[in-house]
Amino acid sequence: MFESALCQIIFYVFAALALLCAVGVVAFRNPVTSAMNMALCFGLVSAILFGLGAQFLGIIQIIIYAGAILVLFVFVIMMLDIKAEEHSPASWLPAVGGTVVAAVFAGMVMSVSMNLPGAKDGSCPAKTLWDNIGELSLAPQPQQAEAPAKVTRFGGALPALSPAAAAKALNPDIAPEQAANATTYPDVKLVGHTLFTQYNIPFVILGFALLSGSVGAMALARKYRKD
Amino acid sequence: MTCICNWWNDLMSNPIWFYLIATILKLVLMFAVILAFVVLSVWIERRVAGWIQDRPGPNRAGLPLFLLERFGSKQKQPLKDVLHFFGIPETSWIAKLCTWLRFDREIPTFGLIQPCLDGGKLFLKQEFTPSYVRKAYFIVAPMLVLGPPMVAAAVIPFASSVETAYGTISMCVANLGIGPLWIFAVSGLSVYGLTLAGWSSNSKFPFLGGLRATAQLISYEVSMGLSVIPLLMMFGTLNLQEIVQFQADNGWTLLPLWGEGLSLQRWAMLAPLALSFLIFVTCVFAEANRTPFDMAECETDLVGGYHTEYSSMKFASFFMGEYAAMVIGSAIVVTLFLGGWSIGFGADAWVAAHCGPWWAVTAQFCMFLIKLLAFIFFFVWVRWTLPRFRWDQVMKLGWLVFLELAVANIFLAAAVMYFIQ
Repeated sequence: MFESALCQIIFYVFAALALLCAVGVVAFRNPVTSAMNMALCFGLVSAILFGLGAQFLGIIQIIIYAGAILVLFVFVIMMLDIKAEEHSPASWLPAVGGTVVAAVFAGMVMSVSMNLPGAKDGSCPAKTLWDNIGELSLAPQPQQAEAPAKVTRFGGALPALSPAAAAKALNPDIAPEQAANATTYPDVKLVGHTLFTQYNIPFVILGFALLSGSVGAMALARKYRKD
Repeated sequence: MTCICNWWNDLMSNPIWFYLIATILKLVLMFAVILAFVVLSVWIERRVAGWIQDRPGPNRAGLPLFLLERFGSKQKQPLKDVLHFFGIPETSWIAKLCTWLRFDREIPTFGLIQPCLDGGKLFLKQEFTPSYVRKAYFIVAPMLVLGPPMVAAAVIPFASSVETAYGTISMCVANLGIGPLWIFAVSGLSVYGLTLAGWSSNSKFPFLGGLRATAQLISYEVSMGLSVIPLLMMFGTLNLQEIVQFQADNGWTLLPLWGEGLSLQRWAMLAPLALSFLIFVTCVFAEANRTPFDMAECETDLVGGYHTEYSSMKFASFFMGEYAAMVIGSAIVVTLFLGGWSIGFGADAWVAAHCGPWWAVTAQFCMFLIKLLAFIFFFVWVRWTLPRFRWDQVMKLGWLVFLELAVANIFLAAAVMYFIQ
């Protein structure tokens, strides 16, 4: 009871603050202020992830986005000494284009969040995440586990997230009592397990794409010496 | 009395209140330790610097006894009276020892008061803000340097856990499943403070200092993250409390002398782990912005670096932030490589079994502080031994040596773990 209420409060407070900061990125004239707002926004999003129990994703968000990419942004902004933005004459074409792109993204986010467990009956995703411990039950229920997942228009409901479910997914032979006792969500192991088994080949291909990208950037930035 | 006891019992039986009270107590303890160690490491720095340079260092800031006269004491030398009171002759070795310790003139503190007096001086100095700075960022920047190391300390375990009547208390503020990553992420955020300080000062040298700090921190964070991977492969967990428990049971990372640490595999693993240690410690030096890596504030080419325009308490925040980063860096090295709170040689379990859990926790806490002090001494020792690198050498070392070494080290560790069973 307490935990789910706290989860909801944390979620709504941080989500509101994150949205405010996101608006700030666009609204402020000073590029450094915009960048700082973006850093704050990343921090708040990772706070939401922490509240959902996905600590690894939250910390990766901070390390990669706030700690590396945005620092490079700030570095470049300061190096080039970009001045505060002037008012440019508004035209309707970019505005319409932007609205269309934003609408497509909003639709995508909506479709994903509507398929989250607990989204349909109006409960917070975080609440369902913790309540699923009870559902996964102390007794093994093979027939329920093998029942086909309910197929919806968007490719089926996402699997339930809970420490117990995660412990079971990592180690199918684990005793049900032990799985139900799992208190922390082993998301590091789960992410690694998923990436290196189910999605191993796409992962390797992505790695090569990133490598060729960085080699290409080096080749473009390199100065050829005459001698 | 019983009323208070019952109230306390009811309060602590509620798991939420129990958790809150235990966490707040741990928070206060951790904060006090860090701040005390910031002051202590300033003192260690000066005394060791003096020692290494063959001079006394600050050893005179005691509490002079003429203060007693100011407060109305008519006696010139209380030491004589004290000796007389206990019937000790003035020529005995005790009296000579007391005189040598300057008891006749002051209450000696061996210079320990010096950092406190420095702090007082910085509080009382005039706070000067140049007119051309970008005010908001100029004020925020020192906070952004001092804050992150304090937050990063939350995951460092300073003792094992205790079973109380109301529940188990794990002796670290936040027992997260992502310990080292939390420290890398949060302490990496202090780069914003350095950059913003340089940029908002609106003058050349601070700006260059800020840019250097950014480039250096980003470069070394990569090798730092890669260098701990062999360790994590061995531990199989990212939880710092579990990592230290593993070391308490199976030998410290660099000292596998008991438990399963005596296996051939662990001794073969010493090669990649030693390399990890070398890379990690160097990266911690670079992250803490200290000589030989203090490129961001090196006075020979940048006046004072990013804090050139700062004075008074704002400067002191930078100063404290640097030392706090050094304390946290030492703590993480001790936790990952030198056994954290573990006493070693299987003594943890013995103390817990024979003296009770609270004594075990106290002994472990003391062991952690001793290791921390020893590593801070090492930090200072390096600073006063090695000369500063040149800027291009720092970058070359980070990108061309450590990055490759760290990646190769991962494969070496994997090979050792696979082939030597």
